Order: sequence, then C-alpha cells, then structure tokens
Amino acid sequence: MSDGHAIATPGDDFHERTANAVANPVLQKALHNLDRRLRTAATSAAAHPDWKERAAAIRRETLHDLDGWLDRLEQSLTARGVQVHRASTPADARRIIVDLARARGARTVVKSKSMATEEIDLGNALEAAGITSVETDLGEYIVQLAGERPSHMITPAIHKTLPQIRDVLAREAGTDLAVDREELTLWARGRLRGEFLRADIGITGVNFAAADTGTLVLVTNEGNGRFCTTVPRVHIAVMPIEKVIPRLADVGIMLPLLTSHATGQALSNYVTMISGPRRAGEVDGPDELHVVFVDNRRRTLLGTKYEEMLACIRCGACLNVCPVYRNVSGHAYDAVYSGPMGKVLTPLLSGGAEGADLPYGSTLCHACTDACPVKIPLGDMILSLRADVPDARTALRRRRRVFWSVWARAWSTPRGYRLTTALGRVSRGRVPGLRAWTSSRELPRPAREPFRDRWAKEHR
Amino acid sequence: MIDTLIATLRENTCRVSGPMGVDAARTAIVALVAGHALVACNDDVPIPGLADALARLPVEVLDPRDPQWPVRLADADAGITGALLAVAEPAAIAVAAAPGSPRGTSLVPPVHICVLRVADLVPTLADAMQTIAAGDLPSALTWIGGPSRTGDLEMITTLGVHGPRTVEVVLVS
Repeated sequence: MSDGHAIATPGDDFHERTANAVANPVLQKALHNLDRRLRTAATSAAAHPDWKERAAAIRRETLHDLDGWLDRLEQSLTARGVQVHRASTPADARRIIVDLARARGARTVVKSKSMATEEIDLGNALEAAGITSVETDLGEYIVQLAGERPSHMITPAIHKTLPQIRDVLAREAGTDLAVDREELTLWARGRLRGEFLRADIGITGVNFAAADTGTLVLVTNEGNGRFCTTVPRVHIAVMPIEKVIPRLADVGIMLPLLTSHATGQALSNYVTMISGPRRAGEVDGPDELHVVFVDNRRRTLLGTKYEEMLACIRCGACLNVCPVYRNVSGHAYDAVYSGPMGKVLTPLLSGGAEGADLPYGSTLCHACTDACPVKIPLGDMILSLRADVPDARTALRRRRRVFWSVWARAWSTPRGYRLTTALGRVSRGRVPGLRAWTSSRELPRPAREPFRDRWAKEHR
Repeated sequence: MIDTLIATLRENTCRVSGPMGVDAARTAIVALVAGHALVACNDDVPIPGLADALARLPVEVLDPRDPQWPVRLADADAGITGALLAVAEPAAIAVAAAPGSPRGTSLVPPVHICVLRVADLVPTLADAMQTIAAGDLPSALTWIGGPSRTGDLEMITTLGVHGPRTVEVVLVS
C-alpha cells in the first residue's frame, strides 16, 4: 500500500523487505525488546485456560448475526443520544469524519491510538482538509513525528531504539533531550497536554461496543484515550463493525483476555466505558458523541471460510510469537496490519489487491493459531489464502504443475527414470530454474554410482 | 479478597493505606494534601466532613461548580475522588462520572487520591460487570489499575506519561 507514509523497510515485495529488515542491525537490536513482552504475556495468558473457550464462543455468537447485533447497538447508542454513521468504504468513513470536523470549524484533532483510523488513513485525510491531527499515544506520536507508520499494533514504535526516539523528539522540541526515559516522557507529557487542551475534537477507536447497553469500551495504559474523551467538545469513535459484542457483561471475560494477551497485564491500566455524551449538570466530557461503523469489505467475509477472522480482538499475540514478525518487524509487511493476522486481513480487506504475497512469507508453524485468544485458525487461513488470492505466483504454480506432471510421466517407466537420474548425476544437482528454491535449501546430491548399477554389478 | 486487592495495587505502583475508619481516613487525606496549593475534590468522596477539614488547611479546594473548573484543573496538585466499586481480580477501581464528580479529577492532576469503601469490593470483573450492566450506567465509567504508564520506550514501563504519576488509594472500612 502506498499512501504517503515513508516505508522504513524498503523493498519491492515482501521477500525483499524481509531480507532488508533482517540485514538492519539497529532494527534487530530494537526487536530484541519484544522478548520482554513475550515472556510476561505468555505467563499471564496461561492463567485462565477456560477464558479462551468462552471468549471464542462470544465472538462467534456475534458473527453469527452480525447485522442483528449492529442494529441493536445502533438502537442502544441512539437512545443514549449518540449519533451513529455507517461507512461502507474507507473513503466514506473519511468523508463523514472530515465533514463533521469542518461543520464544527475544527482546527485541531487529538487522536488516541486506533488501528481502525490507520485502516481508513484518517490522519492524512484530516491534514489534507487543513485540520491538524495529533497522535497522543506516546509510541504513535513518535511514529507520526518520524513520518512513519506503526510497526506493531500495541507498541507502535517497537522498531525504534531509545537513542532513535530521543532524536525524533529532540528534533520536534528544538532543544537537546537526554537519552533518558523519564526526561523524554516528561517532555512528551507537557507537549501533548497542550494539544489536549487546545483540541476541538477527540478521535478514538473502540475495543468493544456492547449492543445491549450502547456502551463503548476503550482500553489504554497512558490515559490519552481518557483525555480524548474528556476534554474536547466532540468525540468521534471509529468502529470496525466486528467490534460489537452482544452484552456489556461479556467484557468481564473479553477485557482480561485482551489485555493479558496484548501486554501481559491482568487488566490495562485504564478501561473507559462510555455510555453517551456528557449529561446535564456534568462538568466535562464531550457534548457530542459520534460513532462511525466501518465495513470495508468485512461483510463479504461473513459465511465464507474466512468469517472467523472477524473474531480478532487486535491483541497482537500472534505478532509476538511469529518467527517471521519477530525477525522483520511490522514495516516489512508494508500494510496497516502486520504479522500473521495482517497476512490474512490485508488481502481479505483489499479484495486481493494488497498483500497478495504476504501469505507466502510464513513458516506455517501455526504458533499464531496456538497464541490466538479467540481461537482463529490463522495458520490454516494463511495456507488457504495462497490458493485463494491470485498473485504473481499463480504463474509459478502453473509451471510447477507442468513440472510435476512431466516428472510423474517420466518416472512411471524404468527407461524414463534411468534417463532423468542420469541427467541429475551429470548436472550434479544444479537444476536450471530452481535457483530461488535452492538458494536457501539443499537439493539432495545424487550418488556418484546409483544403487541400481551397484546391484547389477554384484549380482552379475 | 481485600489482601489480594492491596497486594496487586501495590504491585501496580499504587500507594495503599487502610482499611481504616472514616475519621482516620479524613486525617490521612488531610496529611496527603498538606503541602499542596490547589486540590480538586469530587462530591462522591464517602467521607463526611472532608470539605470542612480541607477548608481549615492552607490549601485551596477547587469545587466542580467553579465556572473556571476545566481551566483551573490543569493547575491542581491533586484530585480526590470516591469510587463506584472495585474488583480484587484483576485489581481495578471503578470511578464514575456524575454532576459534581467530573471525569478530569482522577486524570488531570499529577496525584490522584481515591477513596474506596471496603464494602464496595467484589471478587472478579465478571461479577462486577453483571451488576454494572444491570444498573444505571454513568456517562463515563473508568477502571483504574494504577498510575498512568507507557511501555512504548523499548518496552520498559515509564510512569506518568499523560495522567497521574501517583495514585493513593485510601480504604475505608
């Protein structure tokens, strides 16, 4: 996807970008920090094995009647004075939000980290409309200042080391800052505090939306999500349609499951449950609350073998355990969603137009399937997408089919077998056209003298 | 249950005092705000006579009905709130927005003093959500586990990035 973001890991395709990522020593150093998360998240997630079953059941119950639950959610939200907008494409969502901002004369927007707003590329649309959009999650703010895109959905700046982060923040500050976590955090706190107080609109994602009560559930650790929903006069929540859950009581299971898999915390530091805008007599909170339902081809997945992908709760556990992600980081995927879930979601949400080569960059170890808290068969989906999404390799597959049928015919007769193995001995295993395959694999060397000949000699 | 809550809140770098009686809690809060210049205080703090006790201190108390409240809150040294309820597992305290109890009190000042009645403690989040979903939901209900934190700098926790750096939990029996 090329949308004006600088691509931190260059390359024409996934294969080339992974090679460049592995060859980047600074990125490799930064990626070691993922090990910290992996250990804590694994321990914490193992604490309640029965939660996975219950959460998986709740998500599938939702998907079974997604439209029904969305209608109920819309009714509950509307009854609470929330304005609901439905967007079928990212362009629709961008237009709805930009129009809302323009109509209110908004000049500055503060954003809480949200993959949904990345998906609809909202930041660029706001900037194009002359509205300043400020990311307020510290990692996302760093990534925004660097002109990049988040490389991990939970920790967006995981690809950066502390000295690199200092450089980005010091450039913005216009002064020297020490390579010191406390000092950098304190500077960002002061800078972003000003942005919160100035902002006309707060924009957030949604972690869960309860259909029965019309409650939006937002999870953060920093408190930036709380600021975005407390200070500005208008709050706009961008909600991919699968975020709906039937009952608010379901978050009793879903929330601890999400946060234990995302960060290893039993619960995120702040969980905000919003039921409508500010009420009469209340001193803070937004006067207006808008929720934008974003479809973006999700409905087309219902009833297909990829429907379960919509059960995803964006915890990032599959990224953390993936041997490919752990070595190349998110930018190599050149897509909004990276890691195993990104390999599945990117081609599906783009109708095969983007990320068609991603399903091939997998070891098929199925660690993602095991790690998934809502039991999405990610490994199986990656494999079946190779067949279902046409890409440059379709031609390769056709060549392969021709090769195997010729081989099958040749080895069906003793004469054909002798002829091809003799050719193999002469070429010493160097088969033209197989270099891409043999560059990372050993082709078995044929014996100097075949068993067939030795046997014939000894039994003469 | 209460021991689990206290232990986990401390693990999450909260300071916890009590459980103690109402009078002791009032004294404890007075001691906590002693050095401050401006303190915001919500109506939902379950300690009778707290306003009078604070009024006797050389501390200005910011009232939610002050028309300058949103602007002045940014200068407050501490915010004092009550709590709707708390859960022991995972450890978290729920603070509800209401007239007289703004959202910002537990968010904007660098210190949050949260007063929780031990009787409002329930075992698990699943239990709490059953009760909350069945009742009248506030416009904003915030679960707080500890001071504001980030893991964005090489995945090492740094406190106070946007919200309070210090959370004082006062347990009232």
